[in-house]
Amino acid sequence: MMGAVYALLGVGFSLSWGVMKVINISHAAFALFAAFLAYTLLQAWGLDPILSISVSVPLLFVAACFIYRILIIRITKAKEVIVSSMILTFGIAIILENLMLLIWSPDPRVLTTSYTSKVIIMGPFYFQYPRLAGFLMAVIGVGVIQFFLKKTYIGKAVRAAWQQPDAAQLYGVNLKRISMITFGLAVASAGAGGVSMAFLYSFEPHTHNLWLIYLFLVVIVGGVGNVLGAALAGLIIGIITGLSLAFLPYQWVNLLTFGLLMIILIFRPQGLFPSEV
Amino acid sequence: MSFQSYRWAFIGWLALIVMLAVFPWLMPPVYFVSLLFTVCMYVTLATSWNLIGGYAGYLSFGHVAFFGIGAYTTALLMKGLNLSPAGTLLSSVPAGMVAMLIAVIVGYPCLRLRGPYFAVVTLCFAFVVDLGVKNLDFLGGPEGLWLKSMDLPIEAIRGILFEAMLTIMVLSIALAYWTSRSKFGAGLRAIKEDEEVAQTMAINAPRLKIQAFALSAFFPGMAGSIYAYYLTYIHTDIVFDMMISILIVLMALFGGGGTVLGPIIGAVSLTLINEGLSTFVKAELARMIYGCLFIGVIIFMPDGIIKYFKKEKGLGSV
Repeated sequence: MMGAVYALLGVGFSLSWGVMKVINISHAAFALFAAFLAYTLLQAWGLDPILSISVSVPLLFVAACFIYRILIIRITKAKEVIVSSMILTFGIAIILENLMLLIWSPDPRVLTTSYTSKVIIMGPFYFQYPRLAGFLMAVIGVGVIQFFLKKTYIGKAVRAAWQQPDAAQLYGVNLKRISMITFGLAVASAGAGGVSMAFLYSFEPHTHNLWLIYLFLVVIVGGVGNVLGAALAGLIIGIITGLSLAFLPYQWVNLLTFGLLMIILIFRPQGLFPSEV
Repeated sequence: MSFQSYRWAFIGWLALIVMLAVFPWLMPPVYFVSLLFTVCMYVTLATSWNLIGGYAGYLSFGHVAFFGIGAYTTALLMKGLNLSPAGTLLSSVPAGMVAMLIAVIVGYPCLRLRGPYFAVVTLCFAFVVDLGVKNLDFLGGPEGLWLKSMDLPIEAIRGILFEAMLTIMVLSIALAYWTSRSKFGAGLRAIKEDEEVAQTMAINAPRLKIQAFALSAFFPGMAGSIYAYYLTYIHTDIVFDMMISILIVLMALFGGGGTVLGPIIGAVSLTLINEGLSTFVKAELARMIYGCLFIGVIIFMPDGIIKYFKKEKGLGSV
């Protein structure tokens, strides 16, 4: 269940890493921002968190396009784009985190809706409503992104730019515009991912550091830029953490997760499912 | 530069060091000694990070782990062996050794990874050490460890610890200076430019990288050890704070990676800016300004302050 949510969170991250060579450290911070937005909308007007996505996703898309236009475009010509982008987006993450601290204070929050405690029973399994909502959102989100990349013109241009940036440009792909849209979409998908994470876990302004590790885990295990790989990796990680929770005390689970990431990085840095685009 | 000007530069540095060393005994307010202590600590950290991050281009985001390991080694040695104050100060040497040993063990597999993968794996390493220490009871666990302080007035304690940190700082800068002029440093620079080519030029890249990584872990270990004695209380949230790791990277890059002077300037200026900001505005706001600073530096001076000003003044390439 959690796996799909990790996947939705990771897809955008993977996309901007793969296409633009930008490692967006602030990805999880944007996701958290959307989660807080959903929380506020729910508290103030009783707006359902699922509906709040219709506000947060366009908002993040526009914000990300601006950030790309003003900041990121300047470092795309640098010698080490990946490293510079990590530092740049780290700055953005700090700003966002402290903005959230100022607005929402450091208390942990939980999304509590009218259906939080409801359960569906299907034979031997029972599902909690909020988990189901998060799961469904994640599945739909990943599906939409996959459809976009494979079927639409812009999506195809994104994949072309990824494989051969120069050749794609020769064929009339506007690289700057494509990069901007990719970045916008990546951050917007983080918004959806953040809201679905909020269905599952409590959150506070520092939580994005932990989410960031999950992002790296999903993306590196799944192979950079591989949408379906990220989805699969998300499922595997969800299962591993779920199972290890049954045997280990809670605080050891994160240790296991980080250890796992280290081991995978050392032995298979290209991921378990290398990207085939 | 001629021999003469080298000698003057050397005398200038020596005078600065002597002035710093004398400073705490002129009875200044304790606050300034503490501030200088922090500055020296960050200079040490940034300078030693620069060996692997600046010269070899391997961005380690996990250096706080070595800092914390040093702190915990000293705390454990003090508890276990009932060390006297002088013994505790000296325990910074074994603390540095432990950090170095761990760096060799971790570095051996991790240094095969490049670019962002190395950054991520070191980040993970720092988290693993942090969580591991937090969950082991004999290391104090979530409660942290207390260290017995010296039986001296606070000014004297701060003064002594400042001298210790100053010594470590001078040693680390001396090492950095030696590196910048030696074959070792040249090899590391070659690795940064192009590792394959360096390797075909008979540079033993894996060995150089391990050496650089181990050396760059040694001084943070020592600094962590002194810092533990300075705080007299250590907790994983303090000595394994991710923010320290990131600050180190920033300071070095802010000043200019791969130079001797860069990390020193970066560490001094960022520590002072941080101190100034957090005294005058709210902590959150101060951090936001800090974030903006990152963005500004990476966009306007991607090679650090030093190179930026050298270019501006037309003093030739570095």
